[in-house]
Amino acid sequence: MQTAAMTRERSFPTRTSAYLDWLQMLTGAGLILFMWSHMVLVASVNLGAGAMNTIARFFEDTYMAQVGGPLIGAAFLLHFVLAARKVPFRTEQQRAIWKHARLIKHTDTWLWLVQAFTAMVILIMGSIHMWTVLTDLPITAAKSAARIQGGFWGVFYLILLPMVELHVGVGFYRIAVKWGLAGRSQRKGLKRFENGLTAMFILIGLITIVRFWTLPI
Amino acid sequence: MDTVVSDLLCIGAGLAGERVAVEAAAAGFSTICLSIVPPRRSHSSAAQGGMQASLGNSCMGEGDCPDVHFEDTVKGSDWGCDQEVARLFVERAPEAVREMAFWGIPWNRVVAGKSTYFKGGKQYEKVEAPEKEGLITARDFGGTAKWRTCYTSDGTGHTLLYTMDNKVVELGVTVHDRMEAISLIHDGENCMGAVARCLKTGKLRVYLARATLIATGGYGRIYRETTNAVINDGGGAIIALDTGIVPLGNPEAIQFHPTGIVPTNILVTEGCRGDGGTLLDVNEERFMPEYEPAKAELASRDVVSRWMTHHIRRGLGVPSHYGDHLWLDIRHLGAAHIKTKLREVEEICNNFLGIDPVTQLIPVRPAQHYTMAGIRTNKDGAAYGLKGLFAAGEAACWDLHGFNRLGGNSLAETVVAGKIVGEKVVEYLKGHEARFDTGVVRDRVRRDQERIDRLIGCKDGKEDTFKVRSAMQDELMERVGIFRNGKDLQQAVDNLQEILQRARRVGLRSSGLGANPELTLALKIEGMVKLALCTAYGALQRTESRGCHAREDFQARNDRDWLNRTLATWKEGANLPALEYEPASPSMPLPPGDRGYGASKIITCDGEIIDRG
Amino acid sequence: MGRHLTFEIFRFNPEDKDSVPHMETFHLEETERMTLFIALTRIREEQDPSLQFDFCCRAGICGSCAMMINGRPGLACKTLTRELPSEITLLPLPVFKLIGDLSVDTGTWYRAMNEKVESWIHTHRSFDPRAEEQRMDNALAEEIYELERCVECGCCVASCGTANMREDFLGASALNRIARFMMDPRDERSSKEYFEVVGTDEGIFGCMGLLACEDVCPKNLPLQDQLGILRRKMGWQAVKHLFRMG
Ligand SMILES: Cc1cc2nc3c(=O)[nH]c(=O)nc-3n(C[C@H](O)[C@H](O)[C@H](O)COP(=O)(O)OP(=O)(O)OC[C@H]3O[C@@H](n4cnc5c(N)ncnc54)[C@H](O)[C@@H]3O)c2cc1C
Ligand code: HEM
Ligand code: HEM
Ligand code: SF4
Ligand code: F3S
Ligand code: FES
Repeated sequence: MQTAAMTRERSFPTRTSAYLDWLQMLTGAGLILFMWSHMVLVASVNLGAGAMNTIARFFEDTYMAQVGGPLIGAAFLLHFVLAARKVPFRTEQQRAIWKHARLIKHTDTWLWLVQAFTAMVILIMGSIHMWTVLTDLPITAAKSAARIQGGFWGVFYLILLPMVELHVGVGFYRIAVKWGLAGRSQRKGLKRFENGLTAMFILIGLITIVRFWTLPI
Repeated sequence: MDTVVSDLLCIGAGLAGERVAVEAAAAGFSTICLSIVPPRRSHSSAAQGGMQASLGNSCMGEGDCPDVHFEDTVKGSDWGCDQEVARLFVERAPEAVREMAFWGIPWNRVVAGKSTYFKGGKQYEKVEAPEKEGLITARDFGGTAKWRTCYTSDGTGHTLLYTMDNKVVELGVTVHDRMEAISLIHDGENCMGAVARCLKTGKLRVYLARATLIATGGYGRIYRETTNAVINDGGGAIIALDTGIVPLGNPEAIQFHPTGIVPTNILVTEGCRGDGGTLLDVNEERFMPEYEPAKAELASRDVVSRWMTHHIRRGLGVPSHYGDHLWLDIRHLGAAHIKTKLREVEEICNNFLGIDPVTQLIPVRPAQHYTMAGIRTNKDGAAYGLKGLFAAGEAACWDLHGFNRLGGNSLAETVVAGKIVGEKVVEYLKGHEARFDTGVVRDRVRRDQERIDRLIGCKDGKEDTFKVRSAMQDELMERVGIFRNGKDLQQAVDNLQEILQRARRVGLRSSGLGANPELTLALKIEGMVKLALCTAYGALQRTESRGCHAREDFQARNDRDWLNRTLATWKEGANLPALEYEPASPSMPLPPGDRGYGASKIITCDGEIIDRG
Repeated sequence: MGRHLTFEIFRFNPEDKDSVPHMETFHLEETERMTLFIALTRIREEQDPSLQFDFCCRAGICGSCAMMINGRPGLACKTLTRELPSEITLLPLPVFKLIGDLSVDTGTWYRAMNEKVESWIHTHRSFDPRAEEQRMDNALAEEIYELERCVECGCCVASCGTANMREDFLGASALNRIARFMMDPRDERSSKEYFEVVGTDEGIFGCMGLLACEDVCPKNLPLQDQLGILRRKMGWQAVKHLFRMG
């Protein structure tokens, strides 16, 4: 009883872990929203170069690209720093998780490894990509097409695209189950939905890359 | 030698052991519990049904009180119990249930209004009173006049044990799990503790204590077919018997249950038959109506078990790898009924047999279930013969159950006796100082170490310990089961004596290093055969039928000659136990009479013969 | 019926200086309704009496017999060989300290867990033996029981990637235990006190939502749901002061 009374008097326990978890989720969710908008922007090229240019100009005229871009970059880095706390960097941890995943053959555990792995790729490639695009404003369909038809960027996006979509898909699913937004009975349905979503985005992305590739400059 | 000293040493951390520990620890005494398994895995966790206490909150328990509970208990025991103990018990059971509620048990509660229930295959309706809403409710259990069995869904033992262990953790009681007591340290007058073998490392350790409690549960594993956990192999009873001074009470009083599943003997509830299930033989034909035209499958536990065994012996059992068995058929009850009212049965069938009871037959046969037998104590829980030694729970013969324990009374016994004995242990600790005789301790350890060395070195022979156990189990199943007769019992005693010689020649096949399981059994095997002999010999001598002790050659309950309790001690070097008898109860507020169920042929104290057939 | 089963079993006796960790093969003819309890018992009695494993209730009730069965943690007594391929690999649970062969020390681990989460009713009241019990809604009692059904088998912990990487992670069974007490009106702990125990990276915020716990729990406890509720409650507990007006 005494101890209970004592703890009650003590000041509030450290909230750090809770804050960081909130931030990790919020930056993740924010980035998901961004990636969806990003898809709208980039995929609009499928409707014609004009459509994309209009959207891009809208973002620039409202300064969303100039201000938003670096903000996204910041969110990206913050999210990385937060999520990195969970990534096994120590070799013994890495060995443990690998051994474990291989042993138990459990999908959601593998999905987490997918998330951690894609994250590393995204960190590097995403940064390069953002740097490239944001230092070469304004965004126009023609410039993008030229980049992609150069070959290097085409391959670059062919790798980055599935990485991002996998990461987004798994992240979306994980936020829902971690925070109890989807209960036990919804889990299966959610997973199917998430898989569908990922496949759809990859498909749209591929079509977009092909479109850039074939867009007359 | 590694030595640990405390005020109280509890050998056993099931419900009974922990309840005593809690009492002592709360009074400020240093307490250590030993257990073969982590405490929460003790067999108390397996009790699903419930515990009895006359709260009388449910409408079906209206008017219940300790007096009615007392009467049920004494009748249940077939007047074999100590009535002073029974009185003490029934008076304090309600308080024990409430205390457990206070500590956190999520007892099922009264829900006001109408609901339905099944009895004897028929559906009835009951209406719970609104003013009782939210109080602890009860369910029906065999042999009781009122609904008195408090429960938490299908996990009463589990929740009781978890709550009790929570209390143990809260009070900071030390628990050494995987620590098996292998002998008591005593000088013929005082008990000073125990020698234990660590089941993680195989090392021996000395536990010295001012008071020692044995609460090691039942020892059904001397039988092959038993509902008991695999660790229930009698360690506590053995170390008490090995003293040569402390007696076992009523070693012949062993309870069976008609429907254990084959092969693992997990219990399926009597509700199956209650709700209309039938028993079939190898030809998939019903046989109970042939033996019991009136009640058929609904006859009492022991009667059904008897005919099942009889039918199997007639060669009408279903042969299998695990011996002959019979079928339990609940298919005709329908999927809806099975999936709601008999859900646990469905789960057991699916999980442990891979059988769907809606479409398939369930393999069953009678199995040992409860040992009323145990270390004889007085009503304070103090063992006969040694100062400072106590016993409680199923390991003890306190003696609440006499020759037949009522369902729901054993869980209740663990917490009620635990509390009462705990209080007495505290009194004892306050009034006694310890004298640990180092010579006695050293001698005890030396003998135990020598025993281990001899087993490892095969100094006495190379008998296979598993085979010896198997022979003993066969003997008990075959001849000291539910129905007994002089000829078979004599045969069993003879054979068991031979098996005892084999047990003394056991040697290990493996290295015996560390937590070696072969050594664990080998250290106990001689004691197990002794327990088996106590049971067989006690049964042979008791020429009457009382409670679960059913003699085919002496079918009457004989109050004139046998209204008493067997006390079995084992002198060093002997090949049979020494039997003595004491009156069943110091006083008989409820004089011997008719139980109102089961066969009732009675020879009264005056020698009059009453036969209500 | 009558399949020939091959068991690959992990062997190591830390108390034997000559013992090195290795896999050993045993053979057995399958019999009807055979469980791993029957199979392992037979192997011990007929082939190698030194083989260490743990069974107690052999009825799926006590939680003693958890092991890695073809890679997945599960209760061996509840596993029918019929449901497995004829090659069966058995390993001890990871995370817990090995005692020998298939036997691990869950007792010490769970005692520490129970101490850490203070797994008991915290109340300032004292028991009055003469008083009527505190009333409780039956539905609530059943809800509490639903979470109390955990048998501390350790399957959830062994299956959890987080617990495998970080030994200070409390694990699903501990978080479930806290959820159980939070639900219980008899426990007077405030959310703040609960937060102190589980509002950390060792507690609920360490859980990465891998859900292996949910998938392997032999008692089918609603772990996913309880972890979700706990994260929301603890998350809210941490930030609610930010939303307070004034
Ligand atoms: C399947 C089944 C269902 C049941 N259902 C009911 C029911 O519904 N209602 C009811 O009232 N009763 C029921 N019973 C009976 C009841 O569960 C038991 O009688 C009671 O739980 C025994 O409790 P205990 O504390 O005496 O022993 P246990 O709980 O068996 O504890 C024994 C303890 O002793 C330890 N131990 C044993 N030997 C040693 C040793 N040598 N050294 C150190 N430690 C040792 C063990 O590790 C354990 O901790 C049932 C029994 C069975 C088998
Ligand atoms: C467009 C970029 C990104 C998006 C949209 C995104 C999205 C998400 C989302 C939604 C989650 C789930 C959050 C949660 O469970 O709380 C997540 C988790 C994670 N992210 Fe990202 N992320 C991105 C980039 C990155 C990068 C660059 C890294 C680099 C390290 C990274 C590493 C991780 C990790 C390790 C997790 C798992 C954390 C956990 O399970 O607790 N992510 N991400
Ligand atoms: C503010 C930041 C960003 C801007 C302005 C931006 C802009 C663009 C543009 C204009 C393209 C078209 C191709 C090109 O011009 O090279 C593109 C494509 C792409 N971007 Fe971004 N991007 C940003 C951030 C990101 C991030 C953070 C990621 C993921 C980590 C990402 C992943 C991709 C991918 C995969 C493609 C290929 C397009 C597809 O086929 O769908 N981008 N982006
Ligand atoms: S939560 Fe489930 S898996 Fe975990 S210990 Fe409890 S019963 Fe076992
Ligand atoms: S597997 Fe582990 S990470 Fe969380 S959801 Fe279960 S505790
Ligand atoms: S032995 Fe008890 S759960 Fe398997």
